[in-house]
Amino acid sequence: MATTWPKQRRLIGTDIPRIDGADKATGHAKYSYDINRPGMLHAQILRSPHAHAKIKKLDYSKAAKMPGVKAVHVIADVGTELFYAGDEIFALAADTEEHCLDALRAVEIEFEVLPFLVKEEDVYKKDLMTAPPRGKDRKNLLPGSEQTKGDVEQGFQQADAVVEAFYGVNVCTHQCLESHGLVAEWSDNDGRLTVWASTQAVYRTAQALAKEFGIPQENVTCITHHMGGGYGSKFGPDIQGIVCAHLAKKAKRPVKLMLNRADEVTCGGNRPSAFGKVKIGGKKDGTITAYTVDCYGTPGIGASRSVNLAYLPYVYEVENYSRKQDILRLNAGSARAMRAPGHPQNCFLTDSAVDDLAAKLGIDPTIIRRKNLPKSEGQGIDWDAVKNKIYNDEIDIALKLSDWKKKWHPPGKDNGKGVMKYGIGMALHTWGGGAQGNPPNECTVFIHRDGSVTARSSTQDLGTGQRTVTAIVVAEILGLEPREINVKIGESEYGYSTGSGGSTTCPSQAPAALKAATAARDALFAKIAPKLGVKKEDLEIQKGFIVAKNGKKTPWKKACSLIGMDTIKGEGGWSSVLALEEPGLSNRQVGGVQVAEVEVDTETGVVYCKHIVAVQDCGMIVNKLCCESQVAGGVIMGVNYALFEERIMDRQTGRQVNPDMEFYKLGGIQDIPRITVHMYDMPERGVIGIGEPPTISTAAAIGNAIFNAIGVRVPIAPFTPERVLAALAKKGGN
Amino acid sequence: MKNFTYYRPTTVEQAVALLDNKWGPVELLAGGTDLHDLQKEYIAQPDKVVSLNGIRGLSGIKASGSAITIGANTKLADIAENSAVRKHLPGLAEAASQVGGPQIRNMGTLGGNLCQRNRCWYFRDEHVPCLLRGGEKCLAINGENRYHACFTDSYACVMVHPSTLAPVLIALAAKATVQGPKGKREIELSRFFQAPAKADEREHVLAANEIVLSVSIPIGSKNASYEVRHKQSYDWPLVQAAAAFDLKGGKASNVRIVLGHVAPVPLLAGDAAKALEGQPVNEETAAEAGKAAIKGAKPLSQTGYKLQLVQVAVKRAILTAAGAKKYWQV
Repeated sequence: MATTWPKQRRLIGTDIPRIDGADKATGHAKYSYDINRPGMLHAQILRSPHAHAKIKKLDYSKAAKMPGVKAVHVIADVGTELFYAGDEIFALAADTEEHCLDALRAVEIEFEVLPFLVKEEDVYKKDLMTAPPRGKDRKNLLPGSEQTKGDVEQGFQQADAVVEAFYGVNVCTHQCLESHGLVAEWSDNDGRLTVWASTQAVYRTAQALAKEFGIPQENVTCITHHMGGGYGSKFGPDIQGIVCAHLAKKAKRPVKLMLNRADEVTCGGNRPSAFGKVKIGGKKDGTITAYTVDCYGTPGIGASRSVNLAYLPYVYEVENYSRKQDILRLNAGSARAMRAPGHPQNCFLTDSAVDDLAAKLGIDPTIIRRKNLPKSEGQGIDWDAVKNKIYNDEIDIALKLSDWKKKWHPPGKDNGKGVMKYGIGMALHTWGGGAQGNPPNECTVFIHRDGSVTARSSTQDLGTGQRTVTAIVVAEILGLEPREINVKIGESEYGYSTGSGGSTTCPSQAPAALKAATAARDALFAKIAPKLGVKKEDLEIQKGFIVAKNGKKTPWKKACSLIGMDTIKGEGGWSSVLALEEPGLSNRQVGGVQVAEVEVDTETGVVYCKHIVAVQDCGMIVNKLCCESQVAGGVIMGVNYALFEERIMDRQTGRQVNPDMEFYKLGGIQDIPRITVHMYDMPERGVIGIGEPPTISTAAAIGNAIFNAIGVRVPIAPFTPERVLAALAKKGGN
Repeated sequence: MKNFTYYRPTTVEQAVALLDNKWGPVELLAGGTDLHDLQKEYIAQPDKVVSLNGIRGLSGIKASGSAITIGANTKLADIAENSAVRKHLPGLAEAASQVGGPQIRNMGTLGGNLCQRNRCWYFRDEHVPCLLRGGEKCLAINGENRYHACFTDSYACVMVHPSTLAPVLIALAAKATVQGPKGKREIELSRFFQAPAKADEREHVLAANEIVLSVSIPIGSKNASYEVRHKQSYDWPLVQAAAAFDLKGGKASNVRIVLGHVAPVPLLAGDAAKALEGQPVNEETAAEAGKAAIKGAKPLSQTGYKLQLVQVAVKRAILTAAGAKKYWQV
């Protein structure tokens, strides 16, 4: 019989505090950074100070003899070409962090310094061919090819107004509060490796380390009980993890290698930039008749696109469009997936233009948003059938929660008499977030004869509340409280799980937990039914009891005591393939609408974000409290992206000048607005991931709110006082 | 961090005797919020670190009828919260309350705030040849300089002085008492700072073997500090203005206006002061003073925007000092 979510849900969809919340708040929760093993050494990496160079000499003999040094590891030897300031060269492990850093400075190294490019705009002036080779090609500029649909020319001719503008978002970095890295320990006798890694992919990290060292995978254990943020930047052991394991092997001692802040910012990944010319045309009724985008962005030394070209224009259905992106390869840290890769850029390049078009048409931009929403097709619970309704409903809710009708005014008009101008803006987003994996993600539930319950999976909780999700699902099925479920996750030996990328963890794990808990329940019924003198089919669970059809209620613990010497075990699995075969447990694709309210000081250019309304669907909500918290977290990240965060590269030295938390700005308590979250619950769709979507549209909404406040577009984010003042000056006075 | 020997003397004389007559080999430690960071970045590599925290009498706030004297080792949080400071020197209380975050304010001291090193990102990156660490030229002049000076004439290095207490103290005509091998001396805060141009110069005029003991601040003036900040939590100002003046019969006299984060030193804005001198204080006169404040500015490639901020900060500091309506608050 196919498994389904319970029709009556006691826990699922309610507000459940995280079961590990107290541990985190009190410091009992141990992160990789907190792990200290007996005899543990400390390692760090010597990196290229130059943006592009070749190693001419590498002499670490003095360094190896420095006090406390126990092992050294060459990553890039003489003759190696280094492609950005931060490229790894050499590592060592010493008894203290201080000895380690002192010894790294004793490495004698000479470079042949080579030309470099670190600014997007410089690539178009001259391609210096300084990118890491792809085949023989070292070009910095990878020109994009144009994709078109319909007839763009004709589309613009049909328009009542056409807007052409340049928009852009800068490179920002993940700034994980816990940096990348791990603690590695080899056991002497059997060659087993254990790592405590800060990773989004526990199972995959163990796999990759086994491959690196040519040892059976069962000889590697990766442990990630708690994790201080990854946002897409922490899949696999990474170079620093592999180096750490090598150093531990050489030193025959446990080694900790966690990146310092500067290395975290320059080398731990980033969200690539996107700048481009956008042309949009529309009719007075709000129909977008044509949209073209010609943009560029940099993945650093990577080679990937920085927008999601297939989703441009973003969200809206437009008959006629053309799109193109050039990839500018710079001598800077490589882009990595970052919380909805490509989508915040897409949203910015689309929704900014929508509001500029609305202004030229003299209409409320909501008219354009509604008019061009994707149309639903077919019936049922899948995205195509529900998308139009979701967006329309979410827009309605967002308008109401923000009091839009009262507050919206034409851009720059009726916005207050003083120097402080009020504005309101909206943006829309979408994201996948379906189940992942084949083979299926595994979950195992054990019911012990003392009544205790263990749920086990190798999946990881990045801070998203996955541990609590598993507890809620198991507790729902077994009639218990989430805190009564002993959830063991974050160890690679607990079966197969996919990495936490693409907002896929909850939709992969929750159905697996449901199936495992259901199987365990049924096994329990089968075991104890004879002892209760009933048929197993006649048993059901009510909160705290097992109830027979004849009305006899047995308390949970007493029922479990009938298990005898055994332990009850139930296994469940879920994958992208099973999700297609058994619809309703999980699904994919969500919408999302956000409204931003800002005040702009037109004398100083300082933007104060006062309020964000975030309306978000994610199918069936498992933990409402956690979902709201996840949305608020996404919004906070979006506010920072809009107002503060920017990687600043220096053309003279080729280095990032702000690899820190001082001039790489992140908002503090006073900078974060009131956040109103509305979860749009659609239990019939099944579980969908919520990790990424709520951060996508915040920046575009804030940009539109600023435009609404001051009547002139600030085209480039982050919206610093300098950029706001420049826009105001262009407008011609305040 | 390079290994160092730690000293914790109990008298100023002992501390002075431990210091060197040139900069570098010995550093003074108060709150440590700047020094330890510099050490970790290998920008400061002292052999000796001399803590001031074992010396009695270096901290505390004393108010007399005409002045408030603050010990150099007084924590910024204590300055911000002191009732006499808040009453008589609201500009100073405001500036102290805006420094860093609570942790910084509860460790950082007055003396440290005045003697801290600059925050230029080239200065603090050991891998680049900054002028103040022996390089040939200031990298900010043709580099990334959005947070640097907009008054650049005659300066070899174009960082901005980081202290936000300094502009207020200069506006208030404060004096520092310092002690060296030859005993104590007084320095007006307006003569305390200098623009360093090479590796063996600091952002102030003290000798390497002198210690700030206290700062004495006359009371009685109307005063205020206004910072234009990108972030409201934990950020440096983009521009700061401090204003102090007497207000008699509705007119301003003895006007002193000092700008912060616009030059390698806190900058006395004489033209701005002159513009307000003898004038009634209102939005128009404050704005005129603001306009006058940017005379002589020569912004870098990315600091042109600061000229607008200077004008606004001066205007708002003056209006705040006078207790006028804060027109910028909705």
